[in-house]
Amino acid sequence: MPDRMTPGADPTTQASLGDSLAEGWNRDEELPPSDWGRRRSSRRTGTVWLFALFITAMALAHAWLSDSLTSEAFLAWATIFTAISFQALPFLVFGVALSAALTAFVPTSAYERFFPDKANRAVPVAGLSGAVLPGCECASVPIAGSLMRRGVAPGAALTFLLAAPAINPVVMIATAVAFAGQPEMVLGRFGASLLAAVVIGWIWVRFGRADWLRLPVSEHAPGTSKWVIFRDSMVHDMMHAGGYLVVGGLAAASLNVLVPREWLLTVAGMPIVSVLVLALLAILLSICSEADAFVAVSLTDFSPTAKLAFMVIGPMVDLKLIAMQAGMFGWRFAVRFAPLCVVVGLLSTFLIGGLLL
Amino acid sequence: MNRIGQGLTLVLLGAAALTSTIPTDLYLNWVKPAFGPFLIAAGVVMVVLGALVVAAELRGEGDADRDEADAEGARTAATAAPGAPGTTAASGADDATAVAERYGHGDGHGHDHARAPGIAWMLLLPVLAVFVVAPPALGAYTVETSAESAAPPRDSARSGRFDDGLEEAAPGEVVEMDIQAFIMRAWIDEDRTLVGREVELTGFAVPDPDGEGWYLARLQMACCAADAVVNKVLIDDGEIPEEDSWWRVRGTWVEPEGALEDVSQHELEVIAREPVQNPPDPYE
Repeated sequence: MPDRMTPGADPTTQASLGDSLAEGWNRDEELPPSDWGRRRSSRRTGTVWLFALFITAMALAHAWLSDSLTSEAFLAWATIFTAISFQALPFLVFGVALSAALTAFVPTSAYERFFPDKANRAVPVAGLSGAVLPGCECASVPIAGSLMRRGVAPGAALTFLLAAPAINPVVMIATAVAFAGQPEMVLGRFGASLLAAVVIGWIWVRFGRADWLRLPVSEHAPGTSKWVIFRDSMVHDMMHAGGYLVVGGLAAASLNVLVPREWLLTVAGMPIVSVLVLALLAILLSICSEADAFVAVSLTDFSPTAKLAFMVIGPMVDLKLIAMQAGMFGWRFAVRFAPLCVVVGLLSTFLIGGLLL
Repeated sequence: MNRIGQGLTLVLLGAAALTSTIPTDLYLNWVKPAFGPFLIAAGVVMVVLGALVVAAELRGEGDADRDEADAEGARTAATAAPGAPGTTAASGADDATAVAERYGHGDGHGHDHARAPGIAWMLLLPVLAVFVVAPPALGAYTVETSAESAAPPRDSARSGRFDDGLEEAAPGEVVEMDIQAFIMRAWIDEDRTLVGREVELTGFAVPDPDGEGWYLARLQMACCAADAVVNKVLIDDGEIPEEDSWWRVRGTWVEPEGALEDVSQHELEVIAREPVQNPPDPYE
């Protein structure tokens, strides 16, 4: 058993809290005696106290509770939840930083030059540009948000959202490593994912309604420092996408622990059902698109088309992704977009799988 | 959640990422070692970002007295259209709230950029997980509850594509192998190169629920613990070690009778075994 947390490991937290507390006190005394000013400052002090309480409670729980948490099922669940959260965290921070940079530093005219005016033509361009961005699905949600914010047609931004995590070079290499000696699997994944992403983009251009999307609006006055815009949109996206990422991680960890893998094997032999089951598994497990090929290859009893479905559906629809999309674009969007992705993704899988595998 | 809360949440989350990577090796329980630098970078970014937000808020960014012109603008905007977005994220929205309070339509009406939705509190859960639970690596429980370790795909590693060092080693030399490599070799290598070779495997013990010996097991991880795959070797040397204890076992492959693809599990004939104190990386 590896080392548990040592009590001496907290000082980072304590120190930063101490600093902010101290600043909070100073600030309190300097405040001008205007009514609302005092009220807001007391609300801030309240927040600081709330966090102080939270950290104290954590320290106490760490001291007294940690050792009594011995239920193996709970610990396995906690491990998988933490694993999903921490594995996604660097990607989330990267995606959020990139999308904030797109918002703050790239002028709108650059997007107009890059994406064709007609939404129908912008969709394939967006799909192919997804092949350039290394990252997983956690990064692409905030980036798609900032593309829409800058006036890119929603259909094209959604195509990018779907294509980027599935066909980028890192994922392609991971797939090639996992399925060594089976280049048709890599090709199939690229083709089926890109096809599904572009078709969904076109469907959205044709049938999508603007009021289904709660578009994140940029609320900065002209003349606000670019760095302030950068900082604020980064925090904004972190709070929205990150909160839902954690919810998705909770759901995925619970299913990962609760759903026994045995029942999978009983359906592995059935042709269509096995494809649907692996697609469902991809949705429930919410594995990062850069790792899913390794899991797919381990599902040896399933047909290649079923494994392809696992890798095509996973990056497009999964629990944590649905939660993040709902946070970014609203539930009205998520309840329409996810089923659309599943249906188109499956059709595309059957088509490409039938042709290649 | 107000901006101080958001800043502090980010600082705590960053601190959790840094605590699990720099002073401790906790992160190895959850993700690949290669993730370490990325986690550190993400942690630093979050701590800095959170600190900047808290500092800006405490400095009084967003207070009306900071910039009269700005505040005036926001005031007009807020009174003209109380439901409309403020003009700037930090000052606009806060001023709008302040002004709204002044004019009597109390609580913030969901318009502002500065407040985060309630879901943002969920970001404190990973913090709790790290500092209170400090989840250990997956172990015997996962091995016991997961399906039989699957045979590796036959077509993925064709003969001659093994990089387990078995061919390079001199005859009679003990070869140190990953359990995953051993199983792969045992299942796929039709030449049965493993026969008669002494190998050394490291893993944790999982008693066989059927009571016939125990498994030396190790989890193989592609990216994070959510995608961990079980690899295990059956050992029957009469003495069953304690669950989840780590062992280094030297032995030889028990060559199965019949075709390799019909084998359900592989067995190791033990020559010697010794306990391992705290293996550095729990996963292969």
